Amino acid sequence: MGIVITVTSGKGGVGKSTTTANLAVGLANLGKKVVAIDFDIGLRNLDMILGLENRIVYDVVDVMEGRCNLAQALINDKKSKSLYFLPASQTKDKDILSKEKVKKLIESLKESFDIIMIDSPAGIESGFEHSIFLADRALIVSTPDVSSVRDADRVIGIIDAKSEKAKNGEEVEKHVIINRIRPDMVDAGNMLSVEDVLSILALPLIGVIPDDEDIITSTNLGSPIVTKEKSLSAESYRRIARRILGEEVEFLDIRAKKGLFASLKGMFK
Amino acid sequence: MSFWDNFFGAKKSTANVAKDRLKIMLSHERASCKLPYLDDLRNDLIAVIKKYTKVEDIKITSHNNQNVEFLEVEVILGK
Repeated sequence: MGIVITVTSGKGGVGKSTTTANLAVGLANLGKKVVAIDFDIGLRNLDMILGLENRIVYDVVDVMEGRCNLAQALINDKKSKSLYFLPASQTKDKDILSKEKVKKLIESLKESFDIIMIDSPAGIESGFEHSIFLADRALIVSTPDVSSVRDADRVIGIIDAKSEKAKNGEEVEKHVIINRIRPDMVDAGNMLSVEDVLSILALPLIGVIPDDEDIITSTNLGSPIVTKEKSLSAESYRRIARRILGEEVEFLDIRAKKGLFASLKGMFK
Repeated sequence: MSFWDNFFGAKKSTANVAKDRLKIMLSHERASCKLPYLDDLRNDLIAVIKKYTKVEDIKITSHNNQNVEFLEVEVILGK
């Protein structure tokens, strides 16, 4: 039986889909059979980040409504053969999902996949509720800015209330991913540090992704950065994937390289 | 504040300002999120107190001190 991991954040634009794509590829490359599902009904994102937008025939709502079977809708990734993708529907009816339909879909995916990664929509409305409903684990993505941390805190507070697991007396395992950190700005005291964010959110950390232009270019190309060698952000994603599988992996040192002036300044502290 | 920060007349770091603002905001939001019954409680209290005296308003605030959580009820009496 596979496990369900939901990537969520509250605020939009903090890197949920990018994180989902990279971790899905990362986990598949570690030998797991993974399916990534885009739950942002009405809007599609994950397909372009994975570079699979031209291969979509059916979507998640087609499967739920019985217009096609699951195997017809699943898209196999070009490079990572154990990764499959189920795209979001572009229907305008955002209330088309129901708990029963979501449950049926997830239960059948659990039979043939090790890991089901759900890319949750932003916000805390029904789309979010459906994506967290059957989660075994939640990865909360936050950037180190006040609005993102505030929304993440709010989402963390309602995850258990919306989850079936919590209704059965268990807890959804929650971890924080801090995205787009800029070590130089943290050092200068102009960006919340990893410790600051964690002290506010009071959850364990599973990874820190440095702000990296290469993530933008890899999204342009539709090829998640995680496979790139000699990249700090790719290595960060790879380590999160290993931590998800229960391995204890050291956190990367992403401190800013100190220039001459900074070193001089340090002497007077 | 380091020597150089003082030397250049730097202000309090913006990250610290952000942290303080967040902590204050979230302590309020968490309280109202955790205690959804506050409005009902307030209305019930007003009804009870009205039986004995004139009441203008009731303010209920929740506080967290170490591991003790408490509600502070302030009754403003009418004239």
